[in-house]
Amino acid sequence: MNKIIIIALMILMTGCSFGEKRIKIFSVEEPRQKLDYPMPTALQLEELKWIIITSENAQEVFKKLEEAGIDPVLFGLTDKDYQVLARNFAQIRQKLQETNNLLEEYKKYYEPKEKE
Amino acid sequence: MIFGKIKMIITVLMILGISGAGIYVMKLRADNAILKANQDKLETAITEQNKVLEQQKKDFTAILESNKKLNVLIGTFKKDLEDLDKRFTKKDRDIGKLAISRTEAIERIINKGGVNAARCIELASGAEHTPEELKATLKSEINPECPSLANPGFVEYQ
Repeated sequence: MNKIIIIALMILMTGCSFGEKRIKIFSVEEPRQKLDYPMPTALQLEELKWIIITSENAQEVFKKLEEAGIDPVLFGLTDKDYQVLARNFAQIRQKLQETNNLLEEYKKYYEPKEKE
Repeated sequence: MIFGKIKMIITVLMILGISGAGIYVMKLRADNAILKANQDKLETAITEQNKVLEQQKKDFTAILESNKKLNVLIGTFKKDLEDLDKRFTKKDRDIGKLAISRTEAIERIINKGGVNAARCIELASGAEHTPEELKATLKSEINPECPSLANPGFVEYQ
């Protein structure tokens, strides 16, 4: 009789823990959200006009400006400075191209369009 | 009496032996199950490792290709700048003196060059090529300020 009571008590104390299925905890790697910024909008530059003034045509140039209703004033560069300006612009353009290409390459590498 | 005791001892030994063998077999089966589970895990790990290695291989190839592309691009930059310098100084050319003697012609050339240079900046910032730019294969059709950028179809004759 005592034995039966002891067994019954044991079952009561352990409850339903016998054969209990434990919850498996597993982690699923969630990929980081894509930034997916659109590429920067391309520039649309306005056209400008260069005027060459020499000691010979200066009067004529200013006269033409006045006739066209434009203030007779010009912002000047020497021929050497013009070359420097051209070179500087070429370098700015190259830097822009390089940065844009880098951005494209990063996008292609880290945010490929097709799902693998 | 003695035979009875011997019989009992033998019986007990046999029971112990059989139960020992049974326990041993059960232990072997349990070990086998663990080994099988380990084997499964190892196989999964190998498959995953192979996948990682394959991805790494793909990544290395992509990085190499990207580096190559950027190096080619930087190479064209140097050449474009040299070409620009050449246009100003080719055959002891002095743009200042030329502008004095042929003012209108140089003004026209400089304005055309300005338009071309502006177009180069637009393209560098990501503007789409026009069909004419893409089709250009002759020297007379290209944008001389940045042929490598503006006219991908143009191959300079060496």
